Amino acid sequence: METFQLEVATRNGPLAVIEVGGYINNEAGEAIVTTARRLLEEGHRQLLFDLAATRIINSIGISLLLEVLEMVMEVKGTLAFCAPSPSIAKTFQIMGLAQYARIFESRAAALEALSASA
Amino acid sequence: MVEAPRIRVVLPREPQAELVATGAVERVGRSIGFSRDTLAEVKLAVVEACLNALEYGGGQVEVEVVGFPDKPPRMEVVVVDHGPGFDPATLPTPSLQAQLGGERKRGWGLELMRHLMDEVDIHSVPGCTRVRMTRREGGR
Repeated sequence: METFQLEVATRNGPLAVIEVGGYINNEAGEAIVTTARRLLEEGHRQLLFDLAATRIINSIGISLLLEVLEMVMEVKGTLAFCAPSPSIAKTFQIMGLAQYARIFESRAAALEALSASA
Repeated sequence: MVEAPRIRVVLPREPQAELVATGAVERVGRSIGFSRDTLAEVKLAVVEACLNALEYGGGQVEVEVVGFPDKPPRMEVVVVDHGPGFDPATLPTPSLQAQLGGERKRGWGLELMRHLMDEVDIHSVPGCTRVRMTRREGGR
């Protein structure tokens, strides 16, 4: 059984950084949706998911990330991902996700870009 | 002549059963020299094929992984279920633009498989769906 980890690592003004690890499937995806909803309700408008420890995102997990994207778009916020593995980056590219979410190679690059656009 | 490594598994009916298949892919892939990045892409494609078989298929889901130590090395994965079958030609190509704001956000599995593997062949009749996928190291 592959475990899943989720932790809100940073809450800083409009920004919240969520670290996600392991296998993102239906169960993990639901947890991500719940966490994202709570952060948006708290007033955070920039959600950055750090995927450095994420191994696989399956298509059910992807569909739940799209729910998060919709929630963020509804409040005119920003959804961002950083440090995806090459296979996850390729998955996002296949889906065309970069048209709607910001994708960064590293957390440092993401934080710099998001702080400039806050 | 080197014998092709081959692993056959029957997926258990339990949560994350699809990861049993990725374990087989990992073992075969490593034995024929697949890179970590290629293996990750094959594993995702196999996860999707297994999820489809577990969700929409029926009966026992069988997975066979064969590695060919060619230059470049090549892997073949076959996923079989015994459900009602389907016509892959009738499945729409998913569109992120169309899905946002809509109810249905699923439907990416086959699209991912087709982009991550070199070949995806589906043969489906009532009682047996067979998905055969191949990938070369450095392919796609």
